[in-house]
Amino acid sequence: MTLEPPRRSLSDFTVELDVYSGPYEWLLALILKDELEIFEVPLRELVDHYLRIRDPEDPNSLDRDTDFAGSAAALVLLKSRTLSPDFESEGDEEVALSPEELAERLSAYLKIRRGADSLRERFASNAGHHPSAHSLPPRPGSLRIDPERLSGAARRAFSRLAEPPVRHLGPITVTLQELASTIRLALAGGPVAYEDLIRNMNRLHSAVAFAAALSLAQEGHLRLSQSEPLGPLTLEPPA
Amino acid sequence: MSGAPQLIEAVLLVSARPVGLGALCSATGLSKEEVSTALAGLGERYSPENSGIVLRNVAGGYLLSTNPACSSAVERFREEARPAPLSGAAHEVLSCALYLGPLTRGEISRVRGVNSDAVVRSLLERGLLAEVGADRESPGSPALLSVTDDFLVATGAASRDDFPPLDSLVGPEELARVRDRLTPAGEGPPTHSPEDAL
Repeated sequence: MTLEPPRRSLSDFTVELDVYSGPYEWLLALILKDELEIFEVPLRELVDHYLRIRDPEDPNSLDRDTDFAGSAAALVLLKSRTLSPDFESEGDEEVALSPEELAERLSAYLKIRRGADSLRERFASNAGHHPSAHSLPPRPGSLRIDPERLSGAARRAFSRLAEPPVRHLGPITVTLQELASTIRLALAGGPVAYEDLIRNMNRLHSAVAFAAALSLAQEGHLRLSQSEPLGPLTLEPPA
Repeated sequence: MSGAPQLIEAVLLVSARPVGLGALCSATGLSKEEVSTALAGLGERYSPENSGIVLRNVAGGYLLSTNPACSSAVERFREEARPAPLSGAAHEVLSCALYLGPLTRGEISRVRGVNSDAVVRSLLERGLLAEVGADRESPGSPALLSVTDDFLVATGAASRDDFPPLDSLVGPEELARVRDRLTPAGEGPPTHSPEDAL
């Protein structure tokens, strides 16, 4: 006997609404994360859509119906609560509104709503205009620069970074020039292997010797040869 | 040698954005009077009755666009659907920004009576709203929002003055009716819901 992993019953339910198109579960997530206004979601249309695609013959139909009824009821509750005034938290202010103040607010809102209706008509009547397909690059002169943001960016760019801690490093007792001289002396007798050069050096001297060798090679005072990556390194006098 | 109308026509053809009078003068080397005269002639030639291309005076400039009567053919050719119309909430937010702006998100929500942050975010993404400053006197200096040039282009307006004044949108009788229903003479607090009043 094999056990199939439990499948979420509404995972394949997708919705097509004006404000959203995609998986139903994502719609719920967007609403819960306030990415989508619950006012924008036509719940009746959502329920109608579910009823249209519902398959009563599906063996999971009971699970699906139950899950959908539960989530849809939660959406109805959320929408109705959001639409109703919150008398517990900020109700005092709302209740304290005098009828005149309320009338003033509603009058202002009524004007804004009429303005919205007029905008809808203007958007609709201008929707069929398509401008030239040529898009010009933005002109530098038309960029708007906020002085405060510019000064903040400059402060960050020019501010000194914190010095890294170096207490774990021991005192540096050798210079690049000293080890360059050592290398030059060694090269006087012909090619020398890097391993032989650093045989009696500590880690710090070895590292500085490598840097000195690179520096001399860059200046053309020696040649570095290595037959394979990570293979033995040989320092040779210049040709 | 090309004449003024041809020069202006050519400049407008290659611009997807409205071109202001100053920019037209600068590009063509013509005087303001010459440009204005040529634009008047082009307006007649590119009128919706005569041409598939129309000359529009929008967002403080001039723009050549296709005639809306030809839009279905253009959309079929470009294989692109027209963007979904804005929601009612989006129109209300734009109406707030147009008539009361620049204003903050909080002020928009206060006028509408509901949180409008998600709608504002969507309109910012569509380029119809923009942050144009900050309200320094409010805690946290919230951003001030206003409508954009794209909004003026989308609504076919040359400027914000093209829209009817806010006070003209609702008649005094209608406002009086709202007040009457909410403040009945000689009675206590209103018994009607705001929806009833509206």
